[in-house]
Amino acid sequence: MSVSVSLHPDPFGPFLQVEQWQQQLGGDPAAATSLFIGRVRGTASDGQPLDALELEHYPGMTEAQLQRLATASARRHGVAAVMVRHRVGLVLSGDAIVVVAVLADRRGPAQRCCHELLEALKHDAPFWKREWSSGVGTWVEGNTPLTAG
Amino acid sequence: MAASDPPPGLTVRVRLFASLREAMGWAEQRLTTAAGTTPASLWPQLDPPDGEALPATVRVAINQQFADPATPLADGDELAFLPPISGG
Repeated sequence: MSVSVSLHPDPFGPFLQVEQWQQQLGGDPAAATSLFIGRVRGTASDGQPLDALELEHYPGMTEAQLQRLATASARRHGVAAVMVRHRVGLVLSGDAIVVVAVLADRRGPAQRCCHELLEALKHDAPFWKREWSSGVGTWVEGNTPLTAG
Repeated sequence: MAASDPPPGLTVRVRLFASLREAMGWAEQRLTTAAGTTPASLWPQLDPPDGEALPATVRVAINQQFADPATPLADGDELAFLPPISGG
């Protein structure tokens, strides 16, 4: 089982990250790949145009916690490999903020692990978002529910 | 040490993040406190603006791992108070 986690202060291409990760893993391609890419919306929580999202983290703990969450989820679902890429710092509207990719032998474990790990990192990895809109920064307290339309 | 001596104190590094850091006006400080202190019992000593009880929404990390606010601190611990997380 392989777990790859990293934080990125600069913009990245999410598909390129996945390609490079799969190349580094080598071997035959996995039968099932599940992928989630999250991008920054163009509007803030109050509906105003969003200039940028600022993402604070806890250096050291955030990386360690992502590694713990990814390892636990990979073990629970018996998948072959997990990748997490997460932006930190100032992230512009439209930019990728998070990528979770999972390789497995079957679609069920791949999809379940990807889903579970994304929810876990949203709630249990120390990141804090601040929305910047018209020059005013507002901390986002908690996450939108999974059921949000 | 005589039996009547007070228990030795302990020094911890306290860290705040995001909205908590801005509400309290500082990011980090070293504090010496009594042995047996827990994150929950230390909180009022930080002069928080919203009352003395640790808010239920604030989580605690000791040495960069989530911990129960009732965990006794050890000398040299890094203690962090974390406002509600919003990642991903």
